[in-house]
Amino acid sequence: MDLLSVLKNAELFEGVTPYELDALTKICQQRTYNAGDVITAQGETGDELFVICDGFVEVLHSDSPSDPSPRAVVNLGQGQIFGEMALVDRGPRSATVRAISKETIVQVIKRDDFEELCEENHHLGYIVMRNIAVDLSFKLRHQHLTGQ
Amino acid sequence: MTANYKISYVVRGGDHPGAIVNTDQRPLVGDRVKLGEREFTVLEVIDLIPPRGDFHYLHVTIQLAKN
Repeated sequence: MDLLSVLKNAELFEGVTPYELDALTKICQQRTYNAGDVITAQGETGDELFVICDGFVEVLHSDSPSDPSPRAVVNLGQGQIFGEMALVDRGPRSATVRAISKETIVQVIKRDDFEELCEENHHLGYIVMRNIAVDLSFKLRHQHLTGQ
Repeated sequence: MTANYKISYVVRGGDHPGAIVNTDQRPLVGDRVKLGEREFTVLEVIDLIPPRGDFHYLHVTIQLAKN
C-alpha cells in the first residue's frame, strides 16, 4: 500500500484535505521493526510520533523505574498511533512500546517538522490536534473497559 | 466512501491486555479475529461513541477461540 493510502486510513488524519495530506507525506519517514525491538522506552525523552502501518506493538507500563516486570497495557495494530503524548506535552515517554510482529512497519513524524507544518497551516494543526485528543479519549475508554 | 472501524477489543478471560485496531469490516458476533498470532471469537459488538467522518468506534468483547 502506498503512503498516501496508509495515511488516508489513519484516524489521525481524518478531515484533512488532499493537499494537507500530501504535505504530511513529506514529513513522514518509514521504519521497520522486528518482533522484540523496543521502539520507545518509558522515562526516556522523545520527539517522534508513530503511525502503525502494519503489524502489532505491545504497550508496557512499569509502576516504578525498578519494576522488574512491566505490565502489558494494550496491543496496538494497523492505523493506531503512539508517542503522541511526548509530542504534545514534551514530557518523558509514559510507556515502553515494543514490536510484537515479525515485521512491524511504522511511519514516524518528528515534533519539529509537525509543529512547523501546524504553524504554516492552522487548519491542519487544528484537525490533527483534535484527532490526537479523540485518540487519547478512545484509549482511556478502552482502559476503562478492560478494568485497568 | 470506505468505512473504517476503530475497534477496542477486550479479551474475556486469559492474560491478553486487549487491543486497538482499525479494520474496514464491522465484526459480527461469532466471527473469528486474529490479533497477532492468536485467534479469538467475537462475543459482543457495541458502538462505543457516535461515528465521525468515515470512522466508526466499536467496543468488541472476544475470547480465545477453541479449535
